Amino acid sequence: MTQIKKSLPYIIAVVGAFIAAGIFIAAIQYNPFEAYKTLITTSFRTPNGFIQTLMKWVPLTLTALAFTVPLSSGKYNIGAEGQFLAGAIGATTVGILLADLPPALLIPLVIIAGIITGALWGLISAWLLYQFNINEILSTVLLNFISFQLVDYVATGPWRDPSAGAPTTIAIGQNGYLPMLIKNPPLSIGVILMILVAIGIYFYTNKTTSGYELVATGANPRAAKVHGIDTRKMFLLSMVIGAAAAGLAGAMEVSGVQHRLIEGIHSNFATLGLIIGLISRGKNQAVPFVAFFIAVLEVGASAMQRTMMIPSQVVLIVEALIVIFILLSDLIKRRQK
Amino acid sequence: MEQTTILQMHEVNKTFDKVKALDNVEFELKSNEILGLLGGNGAGKTTLMNVLYGLYKMDSGSIILNGKPITIPSPKDAIAHGIGMVHQHFLQINNYTVLDNIILGTSVSRPWTADRKKEKAAIEELCKRFGLEIDLDAYIETLPLGVRQKVEILKALYRGVNILILDEPTTNLIPQEVDALFETLKIMVKEGLSIVFITHKLREVLHICDRISVLREGKNVVSLTRKDASDEMLVRAMVGEGMDLQKSVIFSESSKKIITTKRETVLQLENVSLVNSDKINVLSDISFEIGAGEILGIAGVAGNGQRDLAEVVMGIQTATSGTIKFMNEDITQSSTKENISRGFVYIPEDRLADGFLHKASVAYNLILGYHNLPPYSNKGIVNWKNVNAASREMIKKFTIKTTGPDDAGGNLSGGNIQRVMIARAFSQSSKLMVAHNPTRGLDIPSMDFVYKNIFEHAETGMATLLLSEDLDELLLISNRIAVMYRGKIVGILPREKFDKYAIGRMMSGYDQESK
Amino acid sequence: MTGIETFLVEFLKLTFLSMVPFVLAGQGTMLGGRTGVFNVAQEGIMLTGASVGFLVGYTSGSVFVGSIAAMLVGGLFGLILAYFTTTLKMDQFVVGLALFFVGTGLSTLLPKLVLGITLTPPLIPTLKNIPVPLLSEIPVLGPILFNQNILVYISVLLSILLWYLLFKTNLGLRLRSVGENPKAADSLGISVNRYRYLTTIIGGMLIGLAGAYLPMVYTGTFTELMTKGRGWIVIALTFFGGWSPLIILLGSIFFAGIEVLSYRMQVGGSVIPFQFLNMLPYIGTIIIMIFTFGKSRVPAFLGQNYDRERRTL
Repeated sequence: MTQIKKSLPYIIAVVGAFIAAGIFIAAIQYNPFEAYKTLITTSFRTPNGFIQTLMKWVPLTLTALAFTVPLSSGKYNIGAEGQFLAGAIGATTVGILLADLPPALLIPLVIIAGIITGALWGLISAWLLYQFNINEILSTVLLNFISFQLVDYVATGPWRDPSAGAPTTIAIGQNGYLPMLIKNPPLSIGVILMILVAIGIYFYTNKTTSGYELVATGANPRAAKVHGIDTRKMFLLSMVIGAAAAGLAGAMEVSGVQHRLIEGIHSNFATLGLIIGLISRGKNQAVPFVAFFIAVLEVGASAMQRTMMIPSQVVLIVEALIVIFILLSDLIKRRQK
Repeated sequence: MEQTTILQMHEVNKTFDKVKALDNVEFELKSNEILGLLGGNGAGKTTLMNVLYGLYKMDSGSIILNGKPITIPSPKDAIAHGIGMVHQHFLQINNYTVLDNIILGTSVSRPWTADRKKEKAAIEELCKRFGLEIDLDAYIETLPLGVRQKVEILKALYRGVNILILDEPTTNLIPQEVDALFETLKIMVKEGLSIVFITHKLREVLHICDRISVLREGKNVVSLTRKDASDEMLVRAMVGEGMDLQKSVIFSESSKKIITTKRETVLQLENVSLVNSDKINVLSDISFEIGAGEILGIAGVAGNGQRDLAEVVMGIQTATSGTIKFMNEDITQSSTKENISRGFVYIPEDRLADGFLHKASVAYNLILGYHNLPPYSNKGIVNWKNVNAASREMIKKFTIKTTGPDDAGGNLSGGNIQRVMIARAFSQSSKLMVAHNPTRGLDIPSMDFVYKNIFEHAETGMATLLLSEDLDELLLISNRIAVMYRGKIVGILPREKFDKYAIGRMMSGYDQESK
Repeated sequence: MTGIETFLVEFLKLTFLSMVPFVLAGQGTMLGGRTGVFNVAQEGIMLTGASVGFLVGYTSGSVFVGSIAAMLVGGLFGLILAYFTTTLKMDQFVVGLALFFVGTGLSTLLPKLVLGITLTPPLIPTLKNIPVPLLSEIPVLGPILFNQNILVYISVLLSILLWYLLFKTNLGLRLRSVGENPKAADSLGISVNRYRYLTTIIGGMLIGLAGAYLPMVYTGTFTELMTKGRGWIVIALTFFGGWSPLIILLGSIFFAGIEVLSYRMQVGGSVIPFQFLNMLPYIGTIIIMIFTFGKSRVPAFLGQNYDRERRTL
């Protein structure tokens, strides 16, 4: 009962956002009921739709965790995009250079390479914060722009696949492809890896003393420091863990989905990750559930654009409205006290 | 002089987060008087005056000024009605000059230029009239607290107030400065002002006030003239019937359990200095020692390095030179974490910033600092069962008003946050306590409770470094008092040589400069 | 003129041309910050400003009307930011980030709604240079400084005006006090909310105009994500400029210089792959932050909401 009572404001916020966006959709001369029907049901009507949703669910959960884990210590990692791409570049590099290794070696190496390069990319911002106290929002965002150029450099360099239209590398070795859970439509074991990571992060933040220190740092860094917690270390650690999650997402997008580095491989995952993190109100354990919901919306959005010619950006407005309405519901709760 | 009632407040009510801060309070101020508004912390004195100054909105009630009902929705309106207030924490812009702070918010003769000659002349005139000597071009952040208070008073005078509210104005003053302030107040009354003097100190109201009004727990207790007032009466009015004065540390000599026998040294500082990140010498050459069971008081005007001293001892900052020894072990380079596991506890001065996790649960707060130690955790895994059990126990023992260990820290009121600090500190069997203004914000029975706890732990051998800006508190419970001035210890007095004015002189650096 | 000289004149002329978005958005950010409202939605507001400025400029046939529209929409973002943070007291970062998303989404959505999904976007006329009589005749300096578009002149004059208002007038004294200690300002009858609303809205207008400058001067059309991080660089710029109008102006010239340099080196032909030249503005910004962060003074209450009745111990 209390659980329902607790979640009621969020449900109202989500419904409210849909109503507000519906009015907007109607105002731009489309049928909101049709639009929402497509938006919600596409994922569940066909196996293909459901698999597509799961495929989006993986990177969305990981990029959202890339945002929420540092947020637990009070730091804003807006750089999941760059960390994702760094991970994708690292995975691709290993996958191409070591293409001849057997799968038992190559698959873990590709994934680990992605995790490490993602983490290193995040470490730059973390180090700038640790050493020079440079605002992490700025450094992570600026590193995103740098990573775009880096992807372009790799995808148009010696590994370029001349037969592809957009800048794209050749495929990584086949032995580096993530094993498939389902062949057709294709779904790799990435979804299982992602679930394990989410559970691991939940255990870490809620059950370990290091996780306690992370949360205490986020709640009040000054008080945490005064009581013996190395807060700068916690900032660094949380940024790196978050970046590693994003790097993993990038590696799995290469190894499990695209099998090559493509310019634009990051899609809008990182932006959605931020939105998911905000809707989860920074709670790591809520992220996978919210991410699934957003994956449903995103799959529906493409269908909506295809069949009804409604620009898919409309969904971004729905999502932004959910964020704002949830913030407002917090506010109402605060006022009631 | 004929005294008429100039201001009345009727049936004032104010509630914060379900806590009734003011309960049908009546208030009356007469012309040309100094009214003492007396009460312990949390009695509602400041809240009542913040309502009068337009900072807080009252839930119900009325204000009558010179016979006419008025409303005061904001400080702007209070100023317009001739009401000024000097807050306990000065409301000043640190990187502005004194002049800019005084004229801020007033209209000036040439608003679109930088020329403020006319205003400056007017303020200099005021300074002369009230005997307040200040350099108007100095920047606020460079001034000692005593001078900054004069700036606050000038701000009110410049706005031409008839009624001046002073909130605990003697907090940061040495006894000599208190005397000077009282002289200024007398001049102001002669010039036609009426003054409300908020304080929790009995002696001050009996010394300077014409009339005294006592509040307790948001209710009126008694109002009377000075000649009708007595010590015992006011004490009883402040603390209420529930407190046993005979058994209290504050009011009964026999309850003070000060240990006089010399015991082994627990903490020893030798020539400790600290240079901060702005290359300023915030601590220089500090040496002292504290024995087991001993309470060493550190006196000083706020901002003379007390906080840095506390943090160096705790290992939050590392001394630039000198050595710190704990039980003969060199701990100069030790981290806070190591010190906590040695049995150090810390009650920081600024508990909202340094002591409390607003965004975490009460249980998170109660184990902060001790989360690495059994029974709260084992091999890096938190034992939440133990944590919750211990939290429930502390909530009960220290009467923290909360729904339980899972309650959000942000739901706690100020007094209860302080109880969390106290509970956390006294839940440990500690060897050294560093307590900085540990009773600030507590009502009198709670203050007494803290003193009793300190004595209890002292008996088991805990050494206490008590840094306090309340000289009365130090005189009450310290074995010895060391006086800090500009990062130096300028003298250490044993209990038998305690003398308020001598300590005051040391706090002002007078002895230091005449040498 | 020798080759080097021609290159330098061209380089400096382009630098002054390119400083405008930095100056406008920088001063806009600074204004809000001076009263304590830390806007982090610049990138989104600039994109929307660019989009709206372009669309209205195109449909009305007037760049001037387009600029006004961009300012209005930027002001609207400022108003929303002020309402959520000042009145509702919500976290400034979170609201700023949400507005950044909204602005980014809106900027790509609007052209699709107004123009439909087209492959060849229409063009608007770009701002013309207005040579200042006599001054533009001065050799070297003339073409660099006095043969520019109107917004170059406006951005310099605006910076000087803001400096005077903030530091030499009674209004500035009050305005700055709100960002330094809102409780003190409030206790002296200064309306914290009014100043916060005012500066955040005007700040938003300037940021919106900064966005509109991009299609009006550089491209003649709106392209997705055309701000390329300038909005974020502006935040670094305000720290670099110590939240002070004149230093922000100088900083803008510097940041614009890096931008022009990375562009000029590509045109000039260079052994360095162009992708790395493209990184210059971002790497440059990070390096500058290393040297300025934590050293420049920020308004004491930057990013913090003020609640009159919040009690402290």
